[in-house]
Amino acid sequence: MKFGLFYEISIPRPWTPEKERTVYNNCLEQVKLADELGFDHVWAVEHHFLEEYSHCSAPELFLTACAVLTKRIQVGHGIVVCVPEFNHPIKIAERTATLDLLSGGRLHVGTGRSATWTELGGFGANPDTTKKSWDEFVRCLPKMWMQETFSYQGEFWSMPERTILPKPYQKPHPPMWVAVTSPGTEIDAADRGLGSLGLSFAGFEEQEKKIKEYRRRIQNCEPVGAFINEQVATTNFLFCHEDEKTGVEMGKKLGNTFNYLATQLISTREVYSSPSYQSLGLLPALRRAATGPDANEQQTEGMAYGDPARIIRAVKKWESLGVDCINFILNANEVVPQDQVMASLRLFAKEVMPHFAKKPGHVAAAAGE
Amino acid sequence: MPLYGSLDITQSPARLPTLANLDTEAWTLPKAEMMQLLIEVPRTTTEALLPKAMHPALPSYVILAVTKYPESPVGPFNLAVLRLGSRAGVHPRGFLLGAVASSSAAAEALRTRWGFPIDVGEVKFVRRHDRIIGTAKKDGKTILDCALVDPQPVAGNDVQYINWVTAANAPLDGQTQPMLIQVDPKYTFYKSERGKPQVSAFDAAAWHAPNVTLADPIIGTCCTVDTDLPRIRFVMDPLKPVFQGTRRIRESRADE
Repeated sequence: MKFGLFYEISIPRPWTPEKERTVYNNCLEQVKLADELGFDHVWAVEHHFLEEYSHCSAPELFLTACAVLTKRIQVGHGIVVCVPEFNHPIKIAERTATLDLLSGGRLHVGTGRSATWTELGGFGANPDTTKKSWDEFVRCLPKMWMQETFSYQGEFWSMPERTILPKPYQKPHPPMWVAVTSPGTEIDAADRGLGSLGLSFAGFEEQEKKIKEYRRRIQNCEPVGAFINEQVATTNFLFCHEDEKTGVEMGKKLGNTFNYLATQLISTREVYSSPSYQSLGLLPALRRAATGPDANEQQTEGMAYGDPARIIRAVKKWESLGVDCINFILNANEVVPQDQVMASLRLFAKEVMPHFAKKPGHVAAAAGE
Repeated sequence: MPLYGSLDITQSPARLPTLANLDTEAWTLPKAEMMQLLIEVPRTTTEALLPKAMHPALPSYVILAVTKYPESPVGPFNLAVLRLGSRAGVHPRGFLLGAVASSSAAAEALRTRWGFPIDVGEVKFVRRHDRIIGTAKKDGKTILDCALVDPQPVAGNDVQYINWVTAANAPLDGQTQPMLIQVDPKYTFYKSERGKPQVSAFDAAAWHAPNVTLADPIIGTCCTVDTDLPRIRFVMDPLKPVFQGTRRIRESRADE
């Protein structure tokens, strides 16, 4: 089992330059500590316009800072929105390669297509075509990284022959993932040989089904890259405290706050009728999980908060379902004071991590790590 | 935490519809043809229109809907409504800002049974092959002229309709008081189309939304559905956050 940090970077109103800077600095301080404590990954999302919920619109910059401040922890650029109005594929190839160089080959590249009208509408993107453009992008990226020269004629973008520079540090290229929120995306991941970067907080039963299907299908995949990245990551909240009750209470507060922040955002399906967004995606799931910011009911099973013993039980269960990596959200709107986030990370590393031996993570470990 | 609306409906209860009770019987409304246009609007124009208990949707958007109800307990009628995309707690909702019905019987029932802020006027729903047109007139003046342009078939499960919220006075705990009322129709889809929204006339003031300007069209749908206006299940305190101020009036239906 591997452990990672997962950053949405949510920032409470009123926004001031100092507050936004403080939250970013808090995150960097956590990453630096996580690196020292032996955490495996730090992931940062790409979101735009999602007020309070996520101010992480330039994750490549945040991750560059993470890479520079750390020695070992791997940096996950995920997910990069693979929709042309958001990101030109040449720019994705260039900046991920640069980040891989600067991090000394510690990059993972997550891909996805955005789930909110708040974002898609903001960029003037057509929700009907995001799955198709994602598919084009993920097939082009490995070639752009690996081939000396590259040219392409596609439906969503084209380019004449050029040399895309720089090339990634990792050979043949960094491990690739896809965000899995909507039902069925785990199949997209498996069929293309991509890692499954689970972003939902679904319970054991639903996750187990998805993981089984992913493992089954990936055996016969046509990988888009030079290797198969058979890994399943899931997302969780982390608050570890010596006292179980204190840990659970703060964890619930963290989870409820994060979920309630999703309230205002507009899932694509809410406003834009499209066969491409038949599922409601992550936001309604977060809303269902939240009854209010102070709700005392919680939520999904398997959450990583409480005392170390409770968290060990939850992680063991995830491990038994076939999860390779759990990425933790540490804060939301700064409801957990920074000193408590740091203490939680330390306690987790001291009391929980030793119970989970590192697995040699499938093909990616050989190829990309 | 999420933003809240700034409208205090308790300050002007006389402007609200009044319900005699919360025991409204359900209406069955078969084979309704509903055209719904979603359009983004500037946030600054909607803050004052949303009750304090609710959150805005970000970005702000409105739903213009024109529906032809061929059958109802008060006979056939057409209805045009303006709703504001919003949130009751964590749930997407359309807060009803204004409505026009083509029959006085329908208007009276919708006002006094579900709390619609509604007037009687001329409402037309016209289906052509190249577009579906909805118009509304009040006192002879056109207050809405809109269309769904170039309708193309989509599956019914591609379309999502969100529930409504109205503001009204109603008796609760022995006192008639302003409250928010959830109206949550069900839909069985027979035919669904999607197209571009087009609005050639919109009199914002006539819809009780004086500052709203229509900005960026999102999408339009037109669906033939069996639907209803159900019994009232939930009411909400207009001043408390919805997750603290919701009251269940009766149990959910068997199919929920």
